[in-house]
Amino acid sequence: MNVETSAVTESVSHRMVAGRKPELSQSAAVANGEVALLARLRQGNEGAFDELVTRHHSALIRMAMGYVADREVAEEVVQDTWMVVIEGLGQFEGRSSLRTWIFGIMIHKAKDRGVREKRHTNFSSFESADDEGDEAIDPSRFHQSGEWAGHWAFPPQPWDDQTPEKLLASQQAVTAMNRAIEALPRTLKDVLILRDVEGVETKEVCDILKITETNLYVRLHRARERVRQAVETHLERRPSAV
Amino acid sequence: MAQEEGQPILSEITCQEITQWVSAYLDEHVADERKRHIALHLAICAGCETYVKQIATVRDVVGLLPKAVKQPADSQRLRQAFVARAKRSPAGG
Repeated sequence: MNVETSAVTESVSHRMVAGRKPELSQSAAVANGEVALLARLRQGNEGAFDELVTRHHSALIRMAMGYVADREVAEEVVQDTWMVVIEGLGQFEGRSSLRTWIFGIMIHKAKDRGVREKRHTNFSSFESADDEGDEAIDPSRFHQSGEWAGHWAFPPQPWDDQTPEKLLASQQAVTAMNRAIEALPRTLKDVLILRDVEGVETKEVCDILKITETNLYVRLHRARERVRQAVETHLERRPSAV
Repeated sequence: MAQEEGQPILSEITCQEITQWVSAYLDEHVADERKRHIALHLAICAGCETYVKQIATVRDVVGLLPKAVKQPADSQRLRQAFVARAKRSPAGG
């Protein structure tokens, strides 16, 4: 287990492009509620462990699903991840945040398991798929030529009455969004789950996924756009009287 | 990206280009000059303004969606492992 732990231990990637507006520094991210939790974990506090698991388990499962064949295997991967975390807590030095460390272990284990299962053998092509290549939005929504080339031909219609609360109150809208998220390619889903679902700061997402900030925003926007399209389609199908 | 002569001046950036920068713009991760161009464009383009609002709504809603899984299937085993590990090494070392 130590080999696995060390392979992903707190390695902080510095491949990011220069951020114009830095968010929390690494130490601040660690200080962001984790220091006290880490201290309790090291004291063997069961409540702290439950808190840690509750905090991250859902996102770990959702992300692991992108690497392995099914839910059952994803559960095993995350269960194994927690075992490595338990064994490694004593050696964890806090050079990265606890969350970065835990997610790094999961990704390492999930990749290993995915490759062993030969379900996703071609990781390199899988990783590069759906990155920077294509446009985020269907290009046919824009004028293709003429003096208005590149400007909206079919602009989005305002969602005037659709506050986040209202969307969340609609089971159909929630289902549409969840389906769109689950259908995302892994590279996009990882970024969306970490940044928007879990609220992880940009720099930390880059550290966890070992990608640049530029790359993160390309992926994040493509992911958000697909969810936006799902909402748009859902609203278009809705009876106009609602 | 240079504006060609004869194109309508909606600002120096097209809507299609704007849309690619929306998420970075919302998170304030764009350079000042680009931010200015985007802001100028949004001030006069209803389509892009709507688009930015929709992406912001998506960003906010995604974090509030109900989460399906709360606990591991075998949380008891994990807790026991945690306690056992803590007993072996109470100071965490």
